[in-house]
Amino acid sequence: MTALLADTTFVEATWILVVKSILIFIVILSVVPVVLLVERKLLGRMQQRYGPNRVGPYGSIQPLADVGKLLSKQSFRPKAAIPFLYEIAPALTIFSAVITLAILPFGDVQGGWGLYGIDVPIGILYFFAFSSIAFYGLLLGGWASGSKYSFLGAMRSAAQLISYEIAMGLSLLGVVMMAGSLSLVDIVKAQGEIWYVVPQIVAFLIFMVAGFAETNRVPFDLPEADAELVAGYQTEYGGMRFGSYMFAEYMEVLIVSGIAATMFLGGWMGPGPSWLDPIWMLAKMLLLTGFFIWIRATLPRFRYDQLMSFGWKILIPIATLNVLVTAVLVVAT
Amino acid sequence: MTEVAFFVGAIGAIGGAIAVVAMRNPFYSVLALVVHLVFLAGIFLLLRAQFIAAAQIVVYAGAVMVIYVFVAAYVGGIEEPMFDSSPMLRIVGPILAVALFVEISIAVLGSSLTALGTDGSDKIQGGFGTPEAIGKLMLEDFLIAFEAASLLLLVAAVAAIILAGRKKAQKEAA
Repeated sequence: MTALLADTTFVEATWILVVKSILIFIVILSVVPVVLLVERKLLGRMQQRYGPNRVGPYGSIQPLADVGKLLSKQSFRPKAAIPFLYEIAPALTIFSAVITLAILPFGDVQGGWGLYGIDVPIGILYFFAFSSIAFYGLLLGGWASGSKYSFLGAMRSAAQLISYEIAMGLSLLGVVMMAGSLSLVDIVKAQGEIWYVVPQIVAFLIFMVAGFAETNRVPFDLPEADAELVAGYQTEYGGMRFGSYMFAEYMEVLIVSGIAATMFLGGWMGPGPSWLDPIWMLAKMLLLTGFFIWIRATLPRFRYDQLMSFGWKILIPIATLNVLVTAVLVVAT
Repeated sequence: MTEVAFFVGAIGAIGGAIAVVAMRNPFYSVLALVVHLVFLAGIFLLLRAQFIAAAQIVVYAGAVMVIYVFVAAYVGGIEEPMFDSSPMLRIVGPILAVALFVEISIAVLGSSLTALGTDGSDKIQGGFGTPEAIGKLMLEDFLIAFEAASLLLLVAAVAAIILAGRKKAQKEAA
């Protein structure tokens, strides 16, 4: 049996793929509200306040209340907005975020089931392909809103995304060279002896910095700098369309954490029996997500020219140097 | 199933290409080109050329078109055409288009029609579209051509930077 669109290293029946897709989606879908709540609680504690504590015990069903509020809001569209593009932009963003979940490996093949969506030979390029589609979600949203704040926010996000995507790609190149494969499953397997965070510590740091920029998180949240741009590309959005953008942002934080855990922190590897593998992977993902929240409470926002010169003049040269050194070492040993 | 996927990809690609030239607003033209490129990547996937498909999206849709979108979004949004087409252009344009079509048709009919077998992908050895196969082609079999092309690109990039720098220096001197 051959797959329709691409050769995969492990072929499964179609119904297994469908079940897996639904399972992965449900797990991540239920993790996102938890991350939202943890973020608000943690931020509160770090800023000497309680955070949400009214809805449910310890504010635990606050995200549900938020989603309920957003869903019941009127779907409003500004007069200057371009109808079709304005509506399709949030959908595009959320589509490109959700589809990347397919390549995150939560374990090896166990009992005939590969514990991942698909294992494609192009591996990490799949992630980059869809993060370039995500760009159009932001830009169209800002452009089609017909507002100067939205437009400027979208332009900032555009420049920021393409600048930091280069550093991100270069930082992963070192790992790919050491593992000798682009497939995420193979890369995790290659980390049996030592996690790549040790030999590729420079790449890990670059990846995390670029990851903050890619997900528009503090200290790189210039596209939505509220003091200058109201809320950036999402200014004119309300109701569940705004909710989609928010949801996609947290999804992307989870995905960047997942990719970092896979590429640098040994993915599903950990002590204990093999059925613990998905839990290890999820734990590593959530740990890195917690790091995202921690940074948000700690650092102020960059100035825009600082952000650009940091990306182009510091991150990219270091990343290139890292690739060069890794290449020499891989060939020499 | 493959046929359905092919026709979805083909109709999307051709529709996108037509929209590029049919749209009045340059911003929509650029977006139509992105749609065209994405559907083209789908057709590459059907041909088992996964690396080319990913490169198509990352390089063209994700990098080249981003620059186009940038320019069109800043300059564009203009509903009326940017310049009046002269009667000369209206005659010469279609003639050139037809000439190009005839030339490509001759090239296709003359050389590569025999390569279009009806058997499809089992004539080609498996795994030809993987990163490994492409890397072997580029860095072992055609290394010199590949390096020459990369050198050419480097020269172009350096030239662009120097030209931009000279303009800036002139502005400061004035």
